[in-house]
Amino acid sequence: MDILTGFGHGLMVAMQPENLLYCFIGVFLGTFIGVLPGIGSMAAISMILPLTFYLEPTSALVMIAGVYYGAEYGGSIASILMNIPGTPSSSITCIDGYPMAREGRAGIALFTSAIASFGGGMIGMVVMAVLAPGLAALALNFGPTEYFAVILLGLVAASAVSNGSPIKGIAMVVAGLMLGTIGVDITTGAERFTMGVPELRDGVSLVIVAMGLFGVGELIVSIRANASGAHQTDIDYKKFYPSRAECKAIFGPILRGGAIGSFFGALPGTGQTVASAVAYAVEKKVSRNRDMFGKGAIEGVAVPESANNSATQTAFIPTLTLGVPGSASMALVIGALMIHGIVPGPRLLVDHADLFWGLVASFLIGNLLLLVLNIPLIGLWVRLLQIPYRYMYPTIIVLICMGIYSLNNNVFDIWLTLIFGYAGYLMRLFRFEPAPLLIGFVLGPMMEEQLRRAMLLSRGDATVFLTRPISGTLIIVTILLLVYSIVSALRAKARSRAALRVS
Amino acid sequence: MKDFLLRLRRSDDTARLPHAWLGALGGIALLALSLIFVIGGLRLGVGSPRRLGTGAFPVLTGFALGALSVAVIAMDLRDTSDAERPDWISFAAIGAALAVFAVTVERVGLVPSVLLTVFTASLPDPSLRLTGKLLLGLVVALGCWGLFIGILDLPFRAFKGF
Amino acid sequence: MKSRLLTALTLSASLLASTAAYADAGAWSDAPVRIVVTFPPGGTSDLIARILAQYLESEYGQRAVVDNRPGAGGTVAADYVAQQAPDGTTLILGNNAPFTIAPTQFESLPYDPLTSFTHIAYLGASTPALFVQPSMGITTLDQFIERANAEGITYGSSGVGSITHILGQAVDQALGIETIHVPYQGSAPAIQDFRAGVLESYYDMLAQNRDLITEGETLPIALASPTRSPLFPEIPTFRELGYDVVVENWTGLSGPAGMDPAMVETIHDTIEEIMGMQPVIDQLAQWGITHTVMTSDEFTGFVGTTIEVWRPLIEAANVNGN
Repeated sequence: MDILTGFGHGLMVAMQPENLLYCFIGVFLGTFIGVLPGIGSMAAISMILPLTFYLEPTSALVMIAGVYYGAEYGGSIASILMNIPGTPSSSITCIDGYPMAREGRAGIALFTSAIASFGGGMIGMVVMAVLAPGLAALALNFGPTEYFAVILLGLVAASAVSNGSPIKGIAMVVAGLMLGTIGVDITTGAERFTMGVPELRDGVSLVIVAMGLFGVGELIVSIRANASGAHQTDIDYKKFYPSRAECKAIFGPILRGGAIGSFFGALPGTGQTVASAVAYAVEKKVSRNRDMFGKGAIEGVAVPESANNSATQTAFIPTLTLGVPGSASMALVIGALMIHGIVPGPRLLVDHADLFWGLVASFLIGNLLLLVLNIPLIGLWVRLLQIPYRYMYPTIIVLICMGIYSLNNNVFDIWLTLIFGYAGYLMRLFRFEPAPLLIGFVLGPMMEEQLRRAMLLSRGDATVFLTRPISGTLIIVTILLLVYSIVSALRAKARSRAALRVS
Repeated sequence: MKDFLLRLRRSDDTARLPHAWLGALGGIALLALSLIFVIGGLRLGVGSPRRLGTGAFPVLTGFALGALSVAVIAMDLRDTSDAERPDWISFAAIGAALAVFAVTVERVGLVPSVLLTVFTASLPDPSLRLTGKLLLGLVVALGCWGLFIGILDLPFRAFKGF
Repeated sequence: MKSRLLTALTLSASLLASTAAYADAGAWSDAPVRIVVTFPPGGTSDLIARILAQYLESEYGQRAVVDNRPGAGGTVAADYVAQQAPDGTTLILGNNAPFTIAPTQFESLPYDPLTSFTHIAYLGASTPALFVQPSMGITTLDQFIERANAEGITYGSSGVGSITHILGQAVDQALGIETIHVPYQGSAPAIQDFRAGVLESYYDMLAQNRDLITEGETLPIALASPTRSPLFPEIPTFRELGYDVVVENWTGLSGPAGMDPAMVETIHDTIEEIMGMQPVIDQLAQWGITHTVMTSDEFTGFVGTTIEVWRPLIEAANVNGN
């Protein structure tokens, strides 16, 4: 089917009143759930899963998708207001969003996040409409060597996310990789560093690490800061919407974030967290405003939001066309289709064109709904900051507990969060940043898995990484990036030394 | 009690980590962590290039982190800027709140557990009276009941053993 | 369209307001029943639990919720259920992993797969098959053995200690060959690598590969079930080719030890009735699951026998890396 006719047809499907209604329910529920720390799209989707048994497959998919990207957007609200990522992928948004809120620019940050999410969503939608078959074919060419190369690239980019010393940034990435090895080794089945605790066999959940390092760690810091009145900044209601200069400043980041996000979203497994981290790192390298990153740069909010939302849309490509779910939420999407006897796979685009195009068109409608729904709410969210912190923080602690507990319905996870929370606070004291650690932690297990699988399949021949064309190219790009950042760091050092000598 | 808390807060207002080596504790902790993983990894076995062993990746990352943490320690030793002052009271209270939730949620049910958690977390705040803390706990507990059990239908039990 | 909109609204309303249903015949508890699933939401196992919960509530007024407690090969969920009161309000949708593999795989388990549980109703099993690359020119099991002996062959499983790994081990032993095991996390990524051309063969459930088989993307050469499958009657079983390999992926419903026999019977009969309803039969057939009726005692015996039959295979597979 021609793309335009397909899309037009899809729009008709998506505009049917019932699909509109489900889309609305989806994005509303998603936003609401996404704001709650620790309870991500997965909890919301598994909640509505039984309901989808009774729906037409398209309606079911439209609603689930709405929850999915709604939660991604909602996650940024808690990141900006409280420095607590509602979903793990919005932890990058914390880096600049929270400083903006502390400067009294919470309204602008939320507005930027809404616009950037919308922009990213639209880019993701276009990519999906135009490139779905192509990207599916590309993902099909990705074996273990290619994944390893992509992850390596992601890690080099991630070490640049850090605002403080670059050495500490790299150290945190590596520490994340290392902590990711806790649990059963999936290649041999041997237990590693579990100390005999059965709950550790599957490793530490990403949500626990994110909630502990960011959420709990931040709470401990902010109790005193707010007791001394640092938090209740006056909110200038006139500074609610970004100025023209600010609008201009976020345009480029949204485009770049959206492009990077759609690429990573299409690769199963790498997902939104990696997309927003890489996009942030790239933006930090290319932006003219790079010195402000980490101190409340508006670009630093726009880029990860655009990236994670476009990744959210393109994540449907491998799920629907290859049947490979990149995340637990995507596994639920497959489940919802299976109930209706639809098997995701290469034939889906042909056999269920209605479903595919209806979904693509619903992205347009859903993202519009999100925008309409959320812009009026910004004022309400900002006012939330004026609730005295002594009421807020005990509530937040409970929300974190509930979110963590409902992951596996296991109390052990709360104890683990306590440990990571303490670690997060101590890291802050010693000026280590949690974001690079989190990215290393997400990518570590994947990196190890792909490395060992590649070696096993090549029967011990390490040159496959360079001889397979896609992975070879990616590795060369990674090396160039590394050389470039080392050279530019050295140059900056030489320059500052020269400046010192002059003075 | 309230005075005591306020005094404790004021006393560390200008605190600074007294020695540079204290500032390097972070790096030292990282070094220790990397040693654990290197030793543990070696014990698990590193295998052969064709069949990389269980311990290969921990050893690899452990060595890298070890080297990096030495660099971090060297850097921190030269760092003379003010350190953030620790807030051990909030540190203890938040930890205790999480512990209270962990201990009680499956034993007494969601509502009493949340009440106790909120109460514990708000202990270090002198600006809220004891009744206020209990009231806040009650409000949050009822809210959680409505939200998580009533609306979201999560598998919690509101009360247990009463 | 209007009426569908209305249904949707009522459905969402009933979802939001927890319905207070009255117990009918076939229900066994006034309190909501929790069906614990050993996997995260979304897989076949989770969907079966959700279908059961749905029918329990709509047909028998028995409220039921699905409680996903994934982790450590299902042992986290099994351990949890073993510790609950045997009042019929906590049940587990069990399978191979916690009941027949874990007892051999792990040195110590906090529960005993037989004495810590009341095994109530056997639900059914699905059939795994051996798949090879169509481009390799292998169409029979003999050619597979030949190739494995000449150049070695890689096979993907859905994880260390998973049913497909045990099957790979069983096939190696029966055929007298040695293959290179490449574990994945679930079958979907294994199939992706297979289609990328880097993996030479894999084991997976037959029904889940229906489309790939008809497209000619993958080639099943033998089934691990006792008889041929109605889905693809042309595929031979290992048994008829002269190798006694039967490894099936079963599911059943169990509760904590010490449940009242009368209640066990009520639950068993209610579940059997649901399993006999046409929409449920059709849905399970879609997923390639065949239902067999077993009494509670037969089911318990089945679990005990399977543990012993598989023990040598699991030990040979060296699933704990020692």
